[in-house]
Amino acid sequence: MPEPAFTEDQRDALQEIANLAMGQAATRLARLLESFIELSVPRVRVVDVSDAARTLREMTGIDETVSAVRQGFRSDIKGEALVICRSDSIAQLCALVSDPYSRSSYEAIGERELMLDVANLLASACVSSILDQLGRTPVFSAPGVLGEALTLDDVFQPGMLQWRKALLVEVNFALETTSFRAHLVMLMAEESIHHMNEALDALLSSL
Amino acid sequence: MLPIVIADDSLLARKLLTKALPPDWDVDVSYATNGREALALYREGKASVMFLDLTMPDMTGYDVLEALRHEELNSFVIVVSADVQPLARARVRELGAIAFIAKPVTPEALLPILKEYGLYA
Repeated sequence: MPEPAFTEDQRDALQEIANLAMGQAATRLARLLESFIELSVPRVRVVDVSDAARTLREMTGIDETVSAVRQGFRSDIKGEALVICRSDSIAQLCALVSDPYSRSSYEAIGERELMLDVANLLASACVSSILDQLGRTPVFSAPGVLGEALTLDDVFQPGMLQWRKALLVEVNFALETTSFRAHLVMLMAEESIHHMNEALDALLSSL
Repeated sequence: MLPIVIADDSLLARKLLTKALPPDWDVDVSYATNGREALALYREGKASVMFLDLTMPDMTGYDVLEALRHEELNSFVIVVSADVQPLARARVRELGAIAFIAKPVTPEALLPILKEYGLYA
């Protein structure tokens, strides 16, 4: 199998597809949190898996510990969706949602549940929209909390992904007037990169 | 022929938008890949209608709208964006855009706007 890579047109197309998906996810998040969401420019890169943590640190500027939720998705294009936020920013998120979370007498559970809800919303909306635009309908696994005070190196442990190269798509959602920012990272392995190449070429040549 | 500009940094987006235009619309299409190019085309008189993406390098769509306000704004600007939050819509209308269309642009979304402003019969 040739080294996974993207042509300039393929990268552009995936970035635009991710941009559109991000817009749809942001609308849902804005409704949940009743806040305006500032969108980023999606980033698309093929990286060595051993380099994923460093790349993410560079993209996100995060040196602190993070809360991370992981959710798998499957079609012929398959991979992992990760939602990552600074550990100390979750409280800001909770402050925005008055009901029902803050009424919980178990505050820690409330934070964890809210993080799971937000992550699930972002991951499913973004991944579904991206794959839908490519004519795929993914199946999702249940989201799971990876941890609440992890370093990015913990998130991308060498054992977690049995791949060499990964396609990394990053979009982020910032809550206006707070410093809360959620990063959604999609990771796909070599085989999926080839399917992605084909799907993007098919889309481009159909226009 | 009506001169129109499609301004978007993404090739896919430019192609998708072109495909959504009425097939029998008598237009001369110019393409811009950033805000600065869009503004230059406007100044050359090539933008009676401008389809404008918001997130572009080298002048965003917001920057272009601001710049047009200081000129005569002799153009119907239709903002095309993936950011479909109500507040984003309100902000571009304040800046003088006649309409806001969500990506992906469909002929069904586009036609009523073109007809309302007498740009397409």
